[in-house]
Amino acid sequence: MIRAGDASGLAAHGSGSKDRAGLDAAGLVFTGEMYGVQLDQLAQVLGVSQRSAIATVSRWVADGLAESARLGPGPRWIWLTKAGLTRCGLPYTAAVPALSRLAHLRAVTATRIALAATPHFTDGQAYWRSERRLRSKFGRRMGLREHLPDAEVHWPDGTPLAWAGECWAIEAELTPKTISRTAEIMREALARTGDYGCSPADVIQPGQPARHARVIYLCSPAARLVVGRSRDTLGALAGRVELRLLPADAQWQQE
Amino acid sequence: MIRRWLGLLIAQVVFRVIVGAIAALIATAVAIAAAPVTLVAIGAFTVAWSRGWPPRRLLLAAAWCAPMVIAWLASRAAGGTGPSGVATLPYHAWITSWQLVRAGSVLHAAAVIAPAAIPLGLLAGALAWTYRIRSLRAGAGGLSPGSAVAFDQRQWRHQVRSARARIAVPGSVPIITPKGAVAVGAVIRSVSHRTGPVAAIGYDRMRSHQVIVGTTGTGKTTLLLRLWAGFMAGGLQRHAAGRSGPPLLVVLDCKGGSDARRIADRVRRVLRDAGARSTAIWPDEASLSLWTLPPRQLTTTLVDLVEHGTGAAAYYTDVMEALIGLAVEAPGGPPLSSQDLLSRLEPGWLGAAYASTGTPADHQLIRSAGKHLADVALRFRTLFRRLGSGFDGQAGFGDADAWYCILEGTDQISVAEGQARALVDLLASFAARSEAGAARREILLAVDEFSAVSRRLPIWQLYERARSLGLAVQVSAQSWQGLGTEPDERNRIASTAEGGVWLLRTPQPEPVTALAGNRTEVSTTRRLRRFPFWAHQGSSGLREVPVVDPSLIRSLDVGQVAYLYRGGVSYIQVKRLVATPAPLSKHSVAEHPATEHAQHSGAQNPASDRQGARAKASQPASDGRRLAPTDLPDVSELLDAAFGPEPSR
Repeated sequence: MIRAGDASGLAAHGSGSKDRAGLDAAGLVFTGEMYGVQLDQLAQVLGVSQRSAIATVSRWVADGLAESARLGPGPRWIWLTKAGLTRCGLPYTAAVPALSRLAHLRAVTATRIALAATPHFTDGQAYWRSERRLRSKFGRRMGLREHLPDAEVHWPDGTPLAWAGECWAIEAELTPKTISRTAEIMREALARTGDYGCSPADVIQPGQPARHARVIYLCSPAARLVVGRSRDTLGALAGRVELRLLPADAQWQQE
Repeated sequence: MIRRWLGLLIAQVVFRVIVGAIAALIATAVAIAAAPVTLVAIGAFTVAWSRGWPPRRLLLAAAWCAPMVIAWLASRAAGGTGPSGVATLPYHAWITSWQLVRAGSVLHAAAVIAPAAIPLGLLAGALAWTYRIRSLRAGAGGLSPGSAVAFDQRQWRHQVRSARARIAVPGSVPIITPKGAVAVGAVIRSVSHRTGPVAAIGYDRMRSHQVIVGTTGTGKTTLLLRLWAGFMAGGLQRHAAGRSGPPLLVVLDCKGGSDARRIADRVRRVLRDAGARSTAIWPDEASLSLWTLPPRQLTTTLVDLVEHGTGAAAYYTDVMEALIGLAVEAPGGPPLSSQDLLSRLEPGWLGAAYASTGTPADHQLIRSAGKHLADVALRFRTLFRRLGSGFDGQAGFGDADAWYCILEGTDQISVAEGQARALVDLLASFAARSEAGAARREILLAVDEFSAVSRRLPIWQLYERARSLGLAVQVSAQSWQGLGTEPDERNRIASTAEGGVWLLRTPQPEPVTALAGNRTEVSTTRRLRRFPFWAHQGSSGLREVPVVDPSLIRSLDVGQVAYLYRGGVSYIQVKRLVATPAPLSKHSVAEHPATEHAQHSGAQNPASDRQGARAKASQPASDGRRLAPTDLPDVSELLDAAFGPEPSR
């Protein structure tokens, strides 16, 4: 799991330290966890300029750890090869980020970067559990009934934050779904008690505390209305759904 | 003359004896010559007898030897023996085996002759076993006509022993078979059914009406649990494959009491093992919302919940219906709770509500019927007090995979009757709504001892409604009479049970066994020579015998059930489902909310935005295990810092 420090600490590495190996390692793990990252976002994560980020990526590509290509609008995408994933110890299948998911991947990465940039994230020693990691828990057993959040944020106990000990589900919503479907997803996330990949019977286990204390919805302006209305249908559960707009750079805009 | 006649008689006897002796000698010689085949046949016959196998099983075993025979012949053909040599291979193997026996190598001899002797022996054993069974069934075999009865009883014992041994093997009877059929147990015996060792019924039969009859202590609950778990597991599997909507099991336990609670707990654990995420127990742990019914349906249900008379009393019923209709369909939406409805029946409320938007007819009705408002309110106040809080929750049937509804039909009959009526209306409304939706749920409504509460909702009416809504109904009763009050009603229920009838031990099974009809059997009369000797000569004819033997049903043991389906019957030893123990709750019972399990999969059924918003407005203050908004620390500071403030609409 990627800890808060992996992302926020990267900037410190990049700004002063010459610990290239550490920078590489954290950047590689970040890229592997997120399926793929665009160059401008990788530069933010590493805390370096885009030019330096290009150099870093070139080195990864030369070492066979990553691949880079222009897949869609905006900067190049970087993703890890099988060798790169093995180097990071990530048990995922290497694949080029799917074209249909590029916008979503960028939005989730932007969410992670924005959240990791807050002092609370570092103080709370939070860690980001990506969708790719959650999905890997299923293997090939992924059922139709399971909805995966885009990530989980775990707030360990023993930190000064009021919400220490909580686990949040993160949902990045670019395009609006139907209200009933969105509300169904919200309920499922809030009712869940078991970890992802557990047996179907343990998904919701009577007497056990809910897995997600709250669901954080990051919406595009287009999806905001539907998500808001869906939340209203939840009754008292609505208090456990937080709604915010996606960061401005979550959607690539052609200049 | 007499001497010649006597001589002829003696000659006949001597001739018969000599012919018989020669035949016996030839048979013995053949049996000895084909000793390996004879030994296998004797073994097969003995095993089939001791385990109560049907002859088909021996034939199947013989058929399964085909690969061995083919491999044997192929190996010999590859070894240089030509096609003509292959044809005579069994003969040569037989000769070789005898030579080896003479040389003292018995094991070697057995190995040489086995590929030919085993299938032939099994075949011979199957033929002999078939002959034995058929001769006794026809009344021609055995020393006396009573031999057939003794043989049948002995075979039943053997078959039961064999079935019990089969279900005792761990994993031998899964909840559902690889083909998706619902496994129930091991087959003891079947008549006019094609069955294997494991008794399994297709999932589609679980989607049809079924009837279960059996007295207390015969294993009815065990059978029901099996069927429910199978329905749930099969339904989930089909849903995961995208072939249907998710399953929904609704059980109405119309007896109530502490037993019902114990069974409910067991049901929850069994269903959990079958893959059900949540089982709501009504009204102990979860509450439904009666107020989500469409307004017109709500009016009808509310009026039906109140007992009313006929004749002159019908006038007051009409008045009551009119007032309730006004209260429910008032501008601003239907009531959200029983308290809300009662408040609408206060003097002046209807007048104020309809003051600006009501029609002249509404105003006229309010004026004329207003004097009865206090009486109507009193009746409904009493009704709601008796019904309890089970209908004032926020949940709907769609919020759990299974609902176990406990109705106190033994203790408080009139209350249970009202509850049953309301639950069925709610389920019907849910089924009708989901029918229009994308993910239509496959619903099985199981009612146990429904006759206890069916005064205001006859079961046949429930059947008819369920049929039109696509629900499957499973009715269980302790006796044939328990299915309904009138013979017509009982016959109607039983004859529409397309999913089959499950019959456990019951003292009067005849009306149910008659449903399976008759079959034709050969019957033979035998001449009595001198007691206790019967001749083997007689006459045979065909006669009709019942497919299901009522006396066998009366003698069924605990856990044994007869499954009647399409004119055949399978006697089954039900495999008990052992549920995993319930996890210890971290909270005390008092801390658990009324709607806990419903909330596990969502608090309420969002019929519409409006209803959801209203539900939010009327949310109870305490909602137990669920984290209430006020319990959660404020995270706005963090989220505002990361993403900015919450957007306004």
